[in-house]
This record gives sequence, structure tokens and C-alpha cells, in this order.
Amino acid sequence: MIDFSLSKKQKEIQEGIRSLGKYVIRPMSLSMDRNKEVPEPFLRNFMKLAKGFRSDDVVDPIEEGVAAPERDPSKVGETNRTSAIAAEELAWADAALLLSVPGPGLGGPPIRATGTPEQKERFFGIFKDMHKGPLKWGAYALTEPGAGSDVAGIRTSCRKEGRGWVINGRKCYITNGARASWNVVFATVDPAAGRAGHRAFVVEKGTPGFEVGKIEDKMGLRANETAELVFEDCHVPEENLLGGEAAYVSKEGFMTAMKTFDNTRPLVGAMALGIGRAAYEYARDFVKENYVLSRPVPRYAAIAERLAKVGRRLEAARSLVYRATYMADARIPNAKEASMAKAAAGQAAIFSCIESIEICGAHGSLATEHALLEKWFRDIKVYDIFEGTGNIQRIVISKRLMNGLKAF
Amino acid sequence: MISFEPSEEQQLIQQSVADFAKSTLAPRVRELEKKRSVPDDIRRGAHEMGLGLMALPERCGGQGLGYVATALVEEELGAADAGAAFGLPGPGAFGRAVVELGTEAQAESLLSDFSGDGGADRFGGVAWSELAPCKERSGFTTVATRIDGGYSLSGRKAFVTNAHVADRFLVFAQVEPERGWAGIGAFVVRKDNPGLNVGTRHDTLGLDAADFGEILLTDAKVAEDDRLLGGAGGFTQATMRFFAKQAIVVAARAVGVARFAFEIAREHCDTRKAFGKPIGHFQAVAFALADRHMDVESARWLVWKAAHAWDSKAPENEALLATAQAAAHALEACMRTADDCVGLHGGSGFIRDLVAEKLMRDAKQLALCCPTAEQLDQVAAAIELGIGLDPALVLPTPDTQAIFT
Repeated sequence: MIDFSLSKKQKEIQEGIRSLGKYVIRPMSLSMDRNKEVPEPFLRNFMKLAKGFRSDDVVDPIEEGVAAPERDPSKVGETNRTSAIAAEELAWADAALLLSVPGPGLGGPPIRATGTPEQKERFFGIFKDMHKGPLKWGAYALTEPGAGSDVAGIRTSCRKEGRGWVINGRKCYITNGARASWNVVFATVDPAAGRAGHRAFVVEKGTPGFEVGKIEDKMGLRANETAELVFEDCHVPEENLLGGEAAYVSKEGFMTAMKTFDNTRPLVGAMALGIGRAAYEYARDFVKENYVLSRPVPRYAAIAERLAKVGRRLEAARSLVYRATYMADARIPNAKEASMAKAAAGQAAIFSCIESIEICGAHGSLATEHALLEKWFRDIKVYDIFEGTGNIQRIVISKRLMNGLKAF
Repeated sequence: MISFEPSEEQQLIQQSVADFAKSTLAPRVRELEKKRSVPDDIRRGAHEMGLGLMALPERCGGQGLGYVATALVEEELGAADAGAAFGLPGPGAFGRAVVELGTEAQAESLLSDFSGDGGADRFGGVAWSELAPCKERSGFTTVATRIDGGYSLSGRKAFVTNAHVADRFLVFAQVEPERGWAGIGAFVVRKDNPGLNVGTRHDTLGLDAADFGEILLTDAKVAEDDRLLGGAGGFTQATMRFFAKQAIVVAARAVGVARFAFEIAREHCDTRKAFGKPIGHFQAVAFALADRHMDVESARWLVWKAAHAWDSKAPENEALLATAQAAAHALEACMRTADDCVGLHGGSGFIRDLVAEKLMRDAKQLALCCPTAEQLDQVAAAIELGIGLDPALVLPTPDTQAIFT
């Protein structure tokens, strides 16, 4: 039945994160941004609270290290929808914090999708005892100085040497890349071979020949680490080749990199909406408190219209996010819808942040703990860039609209 | 839980209306356009299917299926011929207005003869707009003056759908001139009223198969019981609900137009070749299609969401907000899509051999057949800002853009 209401559990999660965001996270949002760090004690507490859901959970929410349970196909889960709702709320509170939450992060999906049982055990297993020991992250390293959107153009090389592999090259803009216990790194045996030449490795911290390069100084999401990774004759044992040799017999090796995105793109869209909604609500409340609404100032109608346009554009994008996550939960292929969700949400949220600052006038650009609009304005832009730019999403969509369109 | 799956019953209804729209309406759109009406046989077919009675409550002879089912059906009609959708028999806007503004008894007596035998030729109309705003005071120029046992109505109403075929109208008029938009009332005027004359038929940009016209009232006397006082929440609130439900229906038709425009544009870009490949294989073209695809899909989901809000009896402001957002988005998305559809066709899009140009005209006309996007944005902002629903601000009065009703 067509329905747009949240389940009881979803409402609880939404309300829980909302109040945590309002009373705990937002008051420290600006200082985290300035210190470029999310305090560890907070992350520890947060992980306790967040037990039972994770905002980056996608279709197969397996307990770390445990194989996914068999699913009853007649019972459609709601994991992706719930994750989208959680992701929006947490980004509403602080988007950089969300990206800094310990766990496998974007490195999780490719290991889940292609890892051998032994690899899943080994790489997810390290997160089991985080409550006792140090916090741990996983990361996903695909982008290079010379290839971002054009994944087929990666130049980081790998070659077999004895019972292992040797990797050479550079990766950049890697979320949590420096602090990660392991990075899923994409390399190629032969740049001329295209996707058939691609191999994915799990490179553990401390592997000889692997160094962290520059930590980037960014416009927004400053509390979250973005790192450059350098591989110079980096020796990786063969058991860290993701999925083992067997996974690369077909020419679909490259798809590993892409499959990750079908389920994470709507969540990134949801995060963007969280920021966009934060800005919209801020501007709305500002108008309530600071505009003399009782006076029939013609400009007021124009402001009202601007607010409403922002509101409905966010709402339209949210419908696409819900649609894409619904399809994922129902096990309907959703590559096109996932890209639509991300493309629409990123741009709607950017529009919201720009309009909201404008509506608030000079006040909108001030930075205080109570006025985070300028921060959201800085945070949001990258949501139309990372995990596939808006244009890349449109390529994904176009290929599924036009017959026989393989590439432009 | 969030779900995009229509129920089995809804899917069956949607399918049967889609079949009717494809086999009966779509092949004849130009014929209907030339005739500027919906022919007898189509009207009868639609009446037999009960198309006009779906959302109407059962006590009024309707099927009480709700607005989600209505949205599914109206999208299918819109995808074939949005003009015909206005000209199919049934109480239409009149029914929606009477249900919101009248008592149960009034609704039953005014609507029950739309089902059954005579229903295929029966229409109602809502006379809301006027040609120009009243310059002396705020409110309608058309007035309702109290007389013994009822009211006398005088004035000129415009942009009335089905003006020439309806046998009953709901006429909005000024009852208390000093109270502005808070002083308006709604009155049922029947075709046989000697004070009622149907005026000129408007020549319109689009929706040619639908009939839009003026009605003239000259001392049209109506009984006390012909005044509808508005249901829950008072008159303004009830009028808002009427316009909201009208907006859902029109927006669903707009989704249909947009969907069809997108489909034929996509098809054209798939087959038309330039510089050695289909034009859809050029990014500028493909990206435009991708954007319109997002428009069409998101518009549909928002219309469903708004319809669901009413069906599930969500708090009224929530349903009004969802409706305002959905309809404003759908009307604009429809216009963008129809515009791109013509543009992507190039010169052929401008020629009447193809349907693209009709869709573009229909899209613009549709945007004026319920509160406009601008008016809906004011409603949404008023709700979001919690400033109270001032009728002068939130009703689609002729003080701003006049609309077809």
C-alpha cells in the first residue's frame, strides 16, 4: 500500500537523533569545525547510543564479522529507508561528525559484496572490540590526482610478485584515509585493459610502502579527515586481494567499485537533505522572529515564496531518496533511482543553503555556536561532488534512459 | 512504513483506466480538440466505468476510494488527454467543493444524481474567479444580498469549467462587503434559475476539449438552504480544503502530461540521429532528459504523498502543506517537461502533426486550473511560518492571479 509514514522504530530513531543533535551535537559543531576534530569521548558515547542502527547501514546489515542471515523474500526489510532517515537527521545535526563515526565506512560495501568469508571475518572483525580498545575506521580509496569521475582512468598500478602484490601510485580525497585501519584500494594491472585490469585490495595501516600524504584543508566538513595516500612499492599479501583471484576471472572486476554506490548514493542524498533542511529551518525561524510579518510589505511575499520554493525542492528530492531506498529494500535494481536521488538531493540542498543565507541577510553569514548557517553553506557543496558529481549521476541516469548508450 | 506499492485494488483500477485512456482517448485527442468537447460515446464509456465518482463519498453515490486512487487514475487520464479529463462527466470540482463546504445532507442532495442513468450527461461547475479584482474594496464584485427566505446574487463570474454544460453551479459571492475575503459565501445556483445566464466561452491556450466560460447572475434568487456554510474549521478552512483537493487532481493530471511528454521526448532522442548518432547520445540532450525524468518521478511521489496525507487523515495543516508543495512542484515540473519535449523535437515539435505542441499548451493551461504555484507557495509559507491562514493571502483570489475552477 502506498504509504509515506514512518514506522515506529524509524520515528524513534528520528526523534532520538534529533534531540541529540539539537542539545549535544550542534552546540559543539562550530568548535569541531575549527579544531578539525570530532572528540573521541563523544564518538564512543555516540556509538553506544547508535547500537541497533547505523547511518551507513545498507542492504546487508550484518553484524561485523558474521555472515548475513538468510532473508525471507516475502518480508521486505526497511534497512535502507531507516538508514536514510537516520542519515538525514545526523547530517542535520552535523554532517562532518556523521562521516567521522568509526566503522568500515564506505569500505564496508565492497567487502560485503565481494570479500571472501575469511576477509569479511578479518576486516570486519577488528571493529568488534572497539568499545574496549581504540576506535577504528575503514576507508575507500578510488580517486586519484588524475582520475576521479572517470574511474576507468585510474593509474595506480599493481603487479603480482611472488605470493603477493606490489602497488604503486597515489590516492587522494580519501575520507578517514589516514586514520583508517585499512583502505580498500583500487589499482590496475594494465591501464590499457580498462575495467578488466582493475583489482581491489585491502591495504592495512603499517603495510610497508604505504604512507599517508597530505591531510587536506577543506572549505567545509572540516571536522572530518580527508587524506592523500601514497603507495611506493607497497607490498600487499595475496590474501588481501579482495575476493581472491576468482573474483577477477570475469571482466566485471570494475563493477565492484561501482556496486558500492547503488546503495550509498541515496544515503549521501539523505545527508545532503539533512544539511539543506537545517538551513531551511534556520531561515524559516529567522523570518518568523525577525521579519515584521504583520506589515503588508510586498517583499514579504517574495521571501515567503523563496522559502516555499526551497521547502518543496527539498521535499521533491526527499521523495527520490525514499523511492531509491524503498527499491533497495524491496530488492529491485535501483542504479538509476539511486543516482536520481543523489543528483536531486545534492542540488536541492545547495539551493537551500544559498537561498537561506540570502533570506537572513548579513546575519546569515555570521559564525557563532547558535548560527551555523555559514558552516552549512560551506559543508554542502561537496555533496554534489563526492560519490559521483551531479554530472556523473546524470551519465548513470542517461545510460539507463537511452538505448544502446554505453558512453558519451 | 514508506511504500511505493499501490494496493491490488488500486493497481486494477489504474490498469483499467490506463487501458481506457490509451485505447479510447489517446487516438482521438485531435478530434476532441477540434470539436472542443468530449463526444457522447467517450462520455458514456467513462460514466460506465464510474471515472468521475471515484473519490466521491459513498453516501453521495460515489465509490469513496480516496485521493491516492484518484491520483493514480487522473495521471492516466492526463497522460492521454488532460483536456478531456475536465470534460468527462461527473461532479468534478463542483463535487469536491460541495463535499467540503456543505452539510452531509446538502452534499447528498446535490450529488447523488451524478451516479446512475442520467449521469453521463451531467456536469457541475464552480464559479469562483472574476475577470478583474474589485477596485473599491477587497473581496468579490459579485454580491449576495439577503432577501426574504434566501439571497439574491448579482455579478459576473469567469473561468468556470463546464460553464456551458453544467446544470448546477457553486457560485462564490460577497455576503459581507466590509469583511473582505473573510466575508464571502458559496451558493448553489441551478441552470433553471431565471437570474442565471451563461456567457461567452473562453478561447483558451490549451485543454481545448474542456469548456471554460463565464456565467452572469442578475438578481438570481436562491433559497436559504442553497448557501453552503463550510464544514469543519469554518468557511476559509473548508474552501482551502476544496482547493487543496482540486490541486491534487490537477497536479495528478499534470504528472500524466509530464510523463507522456517525457516518454515521447525520450523516444524521439533515441531514434532521431544527428552527426551519426542518436541525439540522446549527446550529453546536453541526455542530461536534459535525466533532469526531466527526476522532475516527473518526484512530482508523482509528492502527489501520492499529499493524497496519502488526506486519505490517512493526517493533521490538516500537514496535508495542506504536502498538497501545496506537491502541486506547485508538479505544475512547474510539467511545464518544464513539456517545454523540453517541444525543444528536443526541434522544428517538428512546433508543428501540429505531433502532439508535443499540444502538451506544452496543456501544461501551461493546467497550471492555471487550480491555485497557481505562486499561490500555493504562499499557502506553504504561511503554514511553515505559523502565521495563520488569512483568506486574502491563502485563497487563490482574483486579487492576484485568477484561476480556472
